[in-house]
Amino acid sequence: MTLSNKARRRLMIFVMVAPAFVVLFGVVVYPFFYNVVLSLSNMSLLHIRDWKIIGFDQYVKVFTEPSQPDFYLVFVKTIIWTVVNVVFHVTIGVFLALVLNQKDIRGKGLFRAILVLPWAVPQLIVALTWRGMFNYEYGAINLMLTQWLGVEGVQWLRQPLEAFLAVIITNVWLGFPFMMIIALGALQSIPHDLYEAADIDGASWFHKLRHITVPLIRPVMIPAITLGTIWTFNNLNIVWLVSNAGEPGDQTHLLVSFVYKAAFNFYRYGYGAALSMIIFFILLAFSLTFMRRSNVTQNVYS
Amino acid sequence: MRPKDILRLSRWPAVLALVTLVSASAFLWNGCHRRDDDKIRITIWHQDRIDVRLILQRQLDRFMALHPEVRVEQLFKETEELRSGFIIAALAGQGPEIVYGPSDQVGPFEVMDIILPLEGLFEKEWLEQFDEKGRIWYKGHLYQLADKLGNHLTLLYNKKLVPVPPTTDEELVAVARRLTTDLNGDGKTDRYGLAWNYTEPFFFIPFMTGFGGWIMDDQGNPTLDNPGTVGGLNFIKQLRDVHKVIPNEADYVVADILFKDGHAGMIINGDWSWAGYQNAGLDIGVAPLPRITATGLWCAPMVSPKGFSINVNVSEEKRPWVIALIRFLMAEENQLESAKELFTMPTHKAVQSGEFVQTNEILRNSRLQIEHGRPMPVVPELRAIWDAMRPSYQAVLAGTMKADQAARNMQLMALRRIKDMNE
Repeated sequence: MTLSNKARRRLMIFVMVAPAFVVLFGVVVYPFFYNVVLSLSNMSLLHIRDWKIIGFDQYVKVFTEPSQPDFYLVFVKTIIWTVVNVVFHVTIGVFLALVLNQKDIRGKGLFRAILVLPWAVPQLIVALTWRGMFNYEYGAINLMLTQWLGVEGVQWLRQPLEAFLAVIITNVWLGFPFMMIIALGALQSIPHDLYEAADIDGASWFHKLRHITVPLIRPVMIPAITLGTIWTFNNLNIVWLVSNAGEPGDQTHLLVSFVYKAAFNFYRYGYGAALSMIIFFILLAFSLTFMRRSNVTQNVYS
Repeated sequence: MRPKDILRLSRWPAVLALVTLVSASAFLWNGCHRRDDDKIRITIWHQDRIDVRLILQRQLDRFMALHPEVRVEQLFKETEELRSGFIIAALAGQGPEIVYGPSDQVGPFEVMDIILPLEGLFEKEWLEQFDEKGRIWYKGHLYQLADKLGNHLTLLYNKKLVPVPPTTDEELVAVARRLTTDLNGDGKTDRYGLAWNYTEPFFFIPFMTGFGGWIMDDQGNPTLDNPGTVGGLNFIKQLRDVHKVIPNEADYVVADILFKDGHAGMIINGDWSWAGYQNAGLDIGVAPLPRITATGLWCAPMVSPKGFSINVNVSEEKRPWVIALIRFLMAEENQLESAKELFTMPTHKAVQSGEFVQTNEILRNSRLQIEHGRPMPVVPELRAIWDAMRPSYQAVLAGTMKADQAARNMQLMALRRIKDMNE
């Protein structure tokens, strides 16, 4: 039996796509739908083998069950955490990229390597090092504050607000190199002719930034910001390690550490799955809205 | 080029893709069903640090030399990863044959039905060679066999700074006050009398018990709102704020470094840390935690054996080798080897009554501390207790809550957490 040309072509397409599809199905599609099923179930410590579908009860619990710390408070903190981090990541990243993109900077490669270092160090080491630096008596931050600036040391890890600031500072330090690298790549792809034409027209530095640089790096930065937002929103490592699992007194939790606690500390798999679905929908809504409003898919030159 | 030629050409990518797919499948299959030899493979998951791993490997090598048909691999996992990873793997019908760890994992593993009852797998006479505390029974079945007793906190002191360890809370304060010094006259404390990871509830337990409290009753109901909690909280706060003999802020790492560097004369730490301090060149002494004068009670840390449990998925065919391995690792000479190198308390009665344990100063005092201690509950609700204690305990340390209010909050929170867990 011989196959028609069309059938052969289809078979070839199938064969080419099949490996990627199998892997994607195994690591994304199946776990995602399994999580959806779990979120509708009562799976927990006592019902881990005999779990059943109970509808949307777990979702209702997420929004109505009294929790410590309060779910809505954690949600607001997660928003603040995400916004502050991403704003600083982008601002510092783009600023440094603009500086590094200048023609007349010597040792550009060295500066670039140094600035990328925070990104290259494993998060675990970064987090534990910063935790040590925030120690009240022996930490480098307070030693600098007291010895150089002559101000009182801050109880970074003992007070809720200060602890939250400490984890934000750590994550800002950790996150800006990614944005810097992305922005630098985008800046280097801008044709130099445009700046020369602007110079001939007598455009100022600010005008060039506003009318050439920003619009032309936007198609690269918007997906990077979207990714950065999703990563930051879901960043368990830094908060968990710097604050030693939510210290002081569970005051430095994000939604994702809430999920971790529910699922892995208290074996509330159904509840944890429902909470993670809520996080998924929050991030999905954000990504779609942000991408649409920022017109990222439009051709920048049109 | 005619369409026919294109099609002919397009066969090559298709063939290549097929070859790739077949190779990848073969690779994956091989990875999942690796059989580099015909040996019986046994895997042990544990959460032990490197020095313990090295000793375990030596013992495994000896076992494999005796049983060339068996290949045993040990795999280190962090405590939480060990627990959650084993749950996930065992529920999926997979996982290591043996899981080794502290006894508090028995409760959740039993509830999830992922470990085997052991009483039918080992003879009664053989089991009776071991300390009763090392045989972990839960709901009428034996689920864990421990080769080490303890995981307990003790008072460690630097012998150069503390010739005689304190035995009461008053002596503890007096010694700590003497040690706490501003050595260079800059107005800052350079050496503290005592340091420990005092923000963690596990490290608070000795003081709670010293003041007469305990975390739960025999039925597993929390009993956190008790005078012991209040007394313990106030005592620690006084050490920091009134006597100023402990650092303002100290987690495990900070306390550990302070003690190692001679910036703290005493530390409260577990049996896992002793060998490390000796290897760091410190002349340390181990003493039982002091007695609280007001109550007449010893500060009693939690005592938790560490031992072996068998995955419920181990096949009947493989079980004899798994049992043989556990027997081997529990044997007298292996427990003695660990005791000598790690100063851990063995469960084998012959080793316990042997010369080394009886004459070694560290192990003698460790034994005393174990006798003062209280067994760590193995019920799953213990998780809820820890989680309920942490926020209020830390709020007291942060100065935002009174001790009696904290005790009430801990109790309420524990009840709620347990209700959530048992939904």
